[in-house]
Amino acid sequence: MSTVLDQIEQQIAKLSTKAVKKNTGNIRTIADGVAKIDGLSDVMYNEMVAFPGGAIGIALNLEETEVGCVILGDVSKLKEGDEVTTTGKLLSVPVGKALLGRVVDALGNAVDGKGPIDAKETYPVERIAPGIMARKSVNQPLFTGIMAIDSMIPIGRGQRELIIGDRGTGKTTIAIDTIINQAKINKVGLASGDAKFRPVYSIYVAIGQKSSNIVRTVAALEAAGALEYTIIVAATAADNPANQYIAPYSGAAIGEWFMENGMDALIVYDDLSKHAVAYRQISLILKRPSGREAYPGDVFYLHSRLLERAARLDGKGSLTALPIIETLAGDVSAYIPTNVISITDGQIFLETDLFNQGIRPAVSVGLSVSRVGSSAQIKATKQVGGKLKGELAQFRELAAFAQFGSDLDAKTKAQLERGARIVELFKQPAFSPAAIELQVSILFAMQKGFFDPIDAKKVVAAAANMKNFFTTRKDALLTEIRNKAALDKDIEAKLQVACEEWKSGYTA
Amino acid sequence: MAAAAKQAQQLARQLFKLSVVDNVVSTDRVAGVLAYVEKHAPANAVFVLKTYHRLIAVELAKSEARVEHAGAVAPAALAAIAAAMTKKYSRPITTTARAHPALLAGLRVRVGDDVYESSVSGQLAALALSV
Repeated sequence: MSTVLDQIEQQIAKLSTKAVKKNTGNIRTIADGVAKIDGLSDVMYNEMVAFPGGAIGIALNLEETEVGCVILGDVSKLKEGDEVTTTGKLLSVPVGKALLGRVVDALGNAVDGKGPIDAKETYPVERIAPGIMARKSVNQPLFTGIMAIDSMIPIGRGQRELIIGDRGTGKTTIAIDTIINQAKINKVGLASGDAKFRPVYSIYVAIGQKSSNIVRTVAALEAAGALEYTIIVAATAADNPANQYIAPYSGAAIGEWFMENGMDALIVYDDLSKHAVAYRQISLILKRPSGREAYPGDVFYLHSRLLERAARLDGKGSLTALPIIETLAGDVSAYIPTNVISITDGQIFLETDLFNQGIRPAVSVGLSVSRVGSSAQIKATKQVGGKLKGELAQFRELAAFAQFGSDLDAKTKAQLERGARIVELFKQPAFSPAAIELQVSILFAMQKGFFDPIDAKKVVAAAANMKNFFTTRKDALLTEIRNKAALDKDIEAKLQVACEEWKSGYTA
Repeated sequence: MAAAAKQAQQLARQLFKLSVVDNVVSTDRVAGVLAYVEKHAPANAVFVLKTYHRLIAVELAKSEARVEHAGAVAPAALAAIAAAMTKKYSRPITTTARAHPALLAGLRVRVGDDVYESSVSGQLAALALSV
């Protein structure tokens, strides 16, 4: 008994007897996760403030007579007149490898029921993006595993590539495929013992999504063995707008830890349309002046300061960002899509029509672009896929012309046949990304005309058969392509022989 | 509607500035302001006066140290607090004392928005947060 009392007395003795100064205020009004507070005369912009019951808020509006705060967490127990105190700190989230394989909320608290996260460090949620001198040009590829993207719209480490399209066109699937592909590459690379290999860790930020969708995503990543390299930051549709507003910044802070510590990371923001809507809701309640589509004037800055944090740093790592934007009826000229298009280094545009025609991933080659271009491609991909985009553009033009039903010369017919086969070849099922060496082999076969005798409708099955042939029987050749990252005469000859071997054994 | 409210707020702020002399609310000036409002009856007079009242209340709170205490406080201690706060805030500050048994022991001094916590209940609350 006396030991217990001693412990308590020691603890009390440890407490400083010096008066502690706090700056306080009182809640004047509270609604929809936003509180207006009288007082808090010393509060700083973006400072964390403490509400009763452990809830945390962020001071966003500093006015002459009141302070507007967004509240993160449970607001149901807060009421008018409650005392609020400043903390003198900026909002921070736990960072580090301890978060890998976990699902966290916008504040970095575990929400997956796997117990607390033992993170050693925290990073501020809002950080100034790296400057020009600290950056390095983007020239290392980040393979998505999607043939249409890796061959025509390559993404580099440190790039910001927008995924844009209507609802239900496969935007999230592309992002998840990319995360799964990183995990596959990580496993192969780490198993190889190559000292130069740099794994890519992924962060998936779900903003305003249904909880059931997030559960499905987690299940897909787990099934593919990718969860161990992934951190999921979830701010569901049921969370208040403040949590949805802060979640992408929390994800960026988690990603920055990898970048600052010499590692590579990929972050997916799914999606920034809902993020803008959450911010609009907060801004309207804070009575900030509204502009186009009722968004506040700083909605561009909302996304630019977030996406500028993706970079490849000199002497350190990189953070690649894949923001997602949902369009309405394919309207890319709406306010938020045009903003994010102008911020990012390119976009992958997904078309509803293509999706409904069964072309999946429904990447619109004409409207998609990567401003980093071929500098983020390995030489082997450039060798086999360098002309693909042009060939497909020609095919679309000729296909439109051929619809008039006029007689076509042999060359035009051949171009149409080739184009139809390329379109079929790029069809890929969800959650099955292809390794880059496999992509190179398939594209080589296509370039050399091995798919020309096959009926266009059967090209998908033939390509699947060829992938199976290469992975099961030509593993050494695939490894050689992966290691050399270029096609020399020797490899080209081996590929030719392998393709002929496949052709002789394949019956459509 | 919003423009009228903004105008009323501006007027209240102007009247408030007129009421403060050397960081202290002047009783004479306040009486003058009230007489002015009564005589001229500006638009939204009730709103103007409510805003004015709030601003004056905030300003008065800055010149008063409200001392909450669990046990007895000697007048000398209150005088020392007043002197220390006057020096710290560079304005004349008076003290008012109020018994608050929930503090258990010690003092809590409130000057405007600032709270100086030196009570056992405050320390226990800090302890509860730290464990």
